Amino acid sequence: MTPAVEFNAVSRHFGTVKAVDGVDLTIAEGAFFAMLGPSGSGKTTCLRLISGFEKPTAGGIRIFGQDVGAVPPNRRNVNTVFQDYALFPHMTVRDNVAYGLMVKGVDRRSRLEKAEELLALVKLPGYGERKPGQLSGGQRQRVALARALINEPRVLLLDEPLGALDLKLREAMQDELKALQKRLGITFVFVTHDQHEALSMADSLAVFNDGRIAQIGTPEDVYSRPQTRFVADFVGSSNVLPPELTAALGGPSKWASLRPEAVRLVPMGHDGTVKTVRYLGAGSRVVLEIGGTEIAAMVPAGQPIPETGAQAAIAFDPRALHVMAE
Amino acid sequence: MLGTPAILPERGIGDRLTALFWRRPRVLLALLLIPPLVWLGVVYLGSLVALLLQSFYSIDEFSGVVKQEFTLKTYAELFRAQNLDIILRTVLMAALVTLASAIIAFPIAYYAARFARGRWKAVFYLGVMLPLWSSYLVKVYAWKLILAREGILTWIADHAGAGPLLARALDEQWFGGASLSTSPVGTFIVFVYIWMPYMILPMQAALERVPATMLEASADLGASRAQTFRSVILPLALPGIVAGSIFTFSLTLGDYIIPQIIGNSARFIGLAVYQFQGTAGNLPLAAAFAVVPIMIMLVYLGIARRMGAFDAL
Repeated sequence: MTPAVEFNAVSRHFGTVKAVDGVDLTIAEGAFFAMLGPSGSGKTTCLRLISGFEKPTAGGIRIFGQDVGAVPPNRRNVNTVFQDYALFPHMTVRDNVAYGLMVKGVDRRSRLEKAEELLALVKLPGYGERKPGQLSGGQRQRVALARALINEPRVLLLDEPLGALDLKLREAMQDELKALQKRLGITFVFVTHDQHEALSMADSLAVFNDGRIAQIGTPEDVYSRPQTRFVADFVGSSNVLPPELTAALGGPSKWASLRPEAVRLVPMGHDGTVKTVRYLGAGSRVVLEIGGTEIAAMVPAGQPIPETGAQAAIAFDPRALHVMAE
Repeated sequence: MLGTPAILPERGIGDRLTALFWRRPRVLLALLLIPPLVWLGVVYLGSLVALLLQSFYSIDEFSGVVKQEFTLKTYAELFRAQNLDIILRTVLMAALVTLASAIIAFPIAYYAARFARGRWKAVFYLGVMLPLWSSYLVKVYAWKLILAREGILTWIADHAGAGPLLARALDEQWFGGASLSTSPVGTFIVFVYIWMPYMILPMQAALERVPATMLEASADLGASRAQTFRSVILPLALPGIVAGSIFTFSLTLGDYIIPQIIGNSARFIGLAVYQFQGTAGNLPLAAAFAVVPIMIMLVYLGIARRMGAFDAL
């Protein structure tokens, strides 16, 4: 099967800044693919390379096997949901959604019918007459989604699609986007800096750091078996153990990662001092200092929580200790 | 810090006024608004009303004295062939000047809004504003020299081999003349030059407010550059274009100096007002002429509103 998107040693440098630097990437057709990374890591530039708003300074990009080096954005059958939605403020919601068909020359009646269909798909039927300025953030986002889907793109790009929404709406939208992607079968590529979002929505993801891909795999892979210290720290904030401490805790003398939820506080064991305690609702995150390294432990609600400055010890299942290559 | 007071001591008149304005926000608003309202209401609107009143009086044709009786006779005079001629000529000139300004200003404004950064932005503002700092009369006389038969434009045309073409154009009865500086084409060129900054600046401000992602969204959805221009850039920049055109249009409608110095001495509204209130001593007709641009601008704004120019405000 031809992959939906292929990057072959793609770089995008802005002067001395290497926004994207030698990225190889394959996104399978029908995937829900996440590009995860901190701001400035190159994930958004990668998205813009797919849509054509950035041109690679080196390397080649293929969309469904076809080289797009010389193809401008308007001829790529790829549509984008922009971070700020970029709805046209002077047009009604219906005209916004129908815009893609209008520029294709589809007659007014059929394109407005289709727009109404898509508004129903994103659960905004009857909103066609309104102007974008009269909608809430969540509604605008749905309109942006409908507008991007009307051309039936082969790949849908989403740039921090849920970034501007409040927590509750964000969770509801996550489920909806996932369901929509399953139903339409379109390849979704979305950019986010939120590891929970990436882990819960994507079926495969790439973690970006400094313009390069640090790790690529399924959420399970990336979360449980981080290959680098950066990935361990960034995806779900794992504890990163230096080789000496790993050895002291009974592992090999190598860098290792240890998930906070695998760490238990016990009366006896490897001693440390409690530095901070943060209450998170479902539990508390207790950070201890052991041999100069900070180790976080998740203490479920209902269990005793030590005071700051107290001595405490940790224990964990040795299988939870994940040894990393670097 | 412990030991500092919960309420800080008052530091004099500034703090007392701040407290007053905080307790009664309307006092500040009133203080700010009264001077401009007096100016606008009494000095500005008052004189406008006085002008309107004058236009409803008429002049006694034998004695030349203004009869202070309400009549529409003076307005009827506007429709005499020679006066109607003046109005149509002025409106046509203003429309052409506005159109040409908009077409020339757009690329400049677009460049400044989208691409110019840092130093180039400063160069842009300087370049656009610089002509406004020098005297209007000096500029118009400078153009008289540029457009003269011995001037640089004719010289360039001769040396570029376009001399015969220019001569043919000047032979045209409709807009030609003995030289560029004594033809309506010359008047047109100078009007466009003089009012250009008033078109560029609001246009640039409007274009600057169109987010770049809007243009990307349009391209993303399949629009060509021309389609994006027509469906996104133009409607969103329309308030700025209309604002600029209000300047160029109304300034051309009212100007009486440029047609006096450059052109074939055909009269424009401004010149007619100047002459009727001065040498001819016909204040009512001058007032009636002065009302014409106001009416035209009202119609113009009405059309602009119909076209949705103010929808995005």
